[in-house]
Amino acid sequence: MSYDLIAGLMFSSLMLMMLTGQRVFGAIGFVAVVAALWLWGTGGSDLGYSAVMKLMKWNALLTLPMFIFMGYVMSESRLASDLFKMFHVWFGPLPGGLAIGTILLMVLISAMNGLSVAGMAIGSTIALPQLDKHKYDRRMISGVIQAGSSLGILIPPSVVLVLYAMIARQPVGHLWLAGILPGLLMAVIFIIYIAVRCRLNPDLGPPITKEESEQISWAEKISLLRAGLLPVFIFAVILVPFIMGWASLTEASVIGALATVLVAVAKGRFTWRVFEESTRQTLAITCMFMLIILAALSFGAVFDGLGAGKVIEGVFVGELHLEPWQILVLMQLSFLVMGMFLDDTAMLVIVAPLYVTLVDQLGYSLIWYGVLYTITCQIAYLTPPFGYNLFLMRAMAPKDYTLPMIYRSVVPFVLMMLVTLIIVMVFPQLALWLPGLVYS
Amino acid sequence: MPDWIKSYVRWVEAINYRVGRFTMYLLFVIMGVMLWSMASKVTHLPANWTLETAQFLFVAYYLLGAPYSMQLDTNVRMDLLYGRLNQRTQVMWDILTIFFLIFYIGVMLYGAIDSTVYSFSIGERNPTAWRPPLWPVKLVTCIAFSLLLLQAVAHFFRDVATLRKVSI
Repeated sequence: MSYDLIAGLMFSSLMLMMLTGQRVFGAIGFVAVVAALWLWGTGGSDLGYSAVMKLMKWNALLTLPMFIFMGYVMSESRLASDLFKMFHVWFGPLPGGLAIGTILLMVLISAMNGLSVAGMAIGSTIALPQLDKHKYDRRMISGVIQAGSSLGILIPPSVVLVLYAMIARQPVGHLWLAGILPGLLMAVIFIIYIAVRCRLNPDLGPPITKEESEQISWAEKISLLRAGLLPVFIFAVILVPFIMGWASLTEASVIGALATVLVAVAKGRFTWRVFEESTRQTLAITCMFMLIILAALSFGAVFDGLGAGKVIEGVFVGELHLEPWQILVLMQLSFLVMGMFLDDTAMLVIVAPLYVTLVDQLGYSLIWYGVLYTITCQIAYLTPPFGYNLFLMRAMAPKDYTLPMIYRSVVPFVLMMLVTLIIVMVFPQLALWLPGLVYS
Repeated sequence: MPDWIKSYVRWVEAINYRVGRFTMYLLFVIMGVMLWSMASKVTHLPANWTLETAQFLFVAYYLLGAPYSMQLDTNVRMDLLYGRLNQRTQVMWDILTIFFLIFYIGVMLYGAIDSTVYSFSIGERNPTAWRPPLWPVKLVTCIAFSLLLLQAVAHFFRDVATLRKVSI
C-alpha cells in the first residue's frame, strides 16, 4: 500500500472516530497508536508515549494554565463587570451601543488573556444578562459574544500564537505584536457592522432609555472610566517585561496571573469560592487541552513518518502547477474546511508542521502566516459542527438559546472574519509593520 | 451487578478524586518555582533547576489531574451525531466506544512502563546543566496512566449500570 494511501486512510479514520462522539483525545490517540502499531509493529508501541517527553520540553505550554487561571479569576470574581458597566454607561444611549460595548469589552479581555474561553465566560455571565434585559436581538447577542471572545487568540497575549511559534520556530514576541493591528481591524469591522445594522433596524439593539441614562450623574460616569485602568495594568505587566527581555514568556504569564489575583484581593472579591472554582476549572481545562495536544502530537508523528509533507508539497507544487499565492489560498481553504471538523489545537499540531515548511519554501513570512493561521482558528471556533465557542455558548447561555439559533447567529461574523483574513492576506504590512517597528 | 464491581468503581473514583484535588494545587507550586526563577535572575545567580522543575511539575499536573477531569466531564466530544441521540443510546454508544479510549490509554501505559524501566536501568539524565535523573518523572506518568486506565474502566462500569438501571 502506498504511503499517500495510508495517510489518506488515517485521516478518514480520524474523521470517522471523531463522529462516534467519544472524547476527542481518545479518538485521535486511538487512530495514532493503531497506525503506529500497524506500520512499525512493536517498535511503534512507544510512539504514543514519546509525545509526553517531547511535550515536556515545550516550555511555552506552561503559559496555558496561567492564562486559564487568570481568565477564571477575572470572570468568577466579576472584575470585568466594572468594565462592562463603563461601556454600558458610555455607549448604552446609542442604537446597538451595548453590543458595541461588548465588543470593546472583549478587546480589553483579549489584551489581558490569551484564550477565547475567558471571553466566553465573561461575556455570557456579565454582558449577556444585560443585553437580554435591554431587549437586544438574541441572534445579535449570541453572535457578538462568540465572535468577540475569539479575538482573545489574535490580540496579545495569545496562546494559539505561542503554540504556532513553537511549531514554526518563530519568536513569540514578533508574532504577538503582529496580531495587534489585524485584531483591532477585525474589532472595528464588527463595530461598524453592529452600528449599521442597528441604525437600519433599531429593534436589533434598542438604545437605553433617557431616564435610565439620566439616573447616572456625570461624576459617576467619569469615575467609571477608572475601570479601564485594569486592562492597561494587566496588559503592561505581561507584555512589558517580556518584550524588554526581563522575564521569560512563562514568567510573564505568572506575573499576569498573580497581578489579576492581586487586583481581585484589593477589591475584596477574592473569596474562597472564587479561588476553589478557578483552581478546579483551570485543572479541568488544562487537562482537556493537554490530552488533545498529546494525542495530536502522536498522530502528527506518524503522519510525518509517512512523509505526508512531501505528498502535500508534491500535489500543490508538482501536479497542480500553482502559483505561490494560489497555494496559499488553497492552504487557507483546507484549514477552513478542516477547522469545521477538527479541534484547532489538533489541527495545528497535525497539519501546521506540513504547511509551515511549504510556506517557508515559497518565500513567505512565517510571522505573517501565523496571523493568517490564527484568524483561521477564530473561524474554526465558530463554524459547526465542531466549534469551541459554539459548545461554550450552548453550555453557558440560558436554555432558550437553541443550537440552530446559535449556529445562525455566527454567520455574519464568520463572513467578517473572512473579510479580515483577505485584507491581511492582501496587505501583509498590517501584520508585519508593528513587529518591524519595535524590534528594528 | 456484582458487589466487587460496585466497590471497584467507588474506590477508583474516590482515589482519583483525591489525587485530582491534590494535583490542582500544583499550579501554585509551579507559580512559586517561576517566581523563584525570576528572583534568582535579579540577584545575578540564575537558578539552573527552575525550568526543568516546572516542566516536571506540569507533566504531573496535567496527567495526574486527567482522571479527575474525566470525572468532571470536561473532555470535549464532537457531538454532530452523538448530540442528537437520546440519553440511553448515548450510554450504549459510550459502552462500545470507550474501548477505543481504553486501548489508547493502555498503549500509553505500556510505553510509559517501558520507558521508565529503560530510564532507570541506564540511569538516564536530562542533558542539561542541572542533569536531573529522568526516572522519577517517568514513574509519575506510569502512575498517572494507570489511574486514567482505572478511571476509564470505571466509566464503562458506570455506563453499564446506568443501562441496567442499577445505582452504584
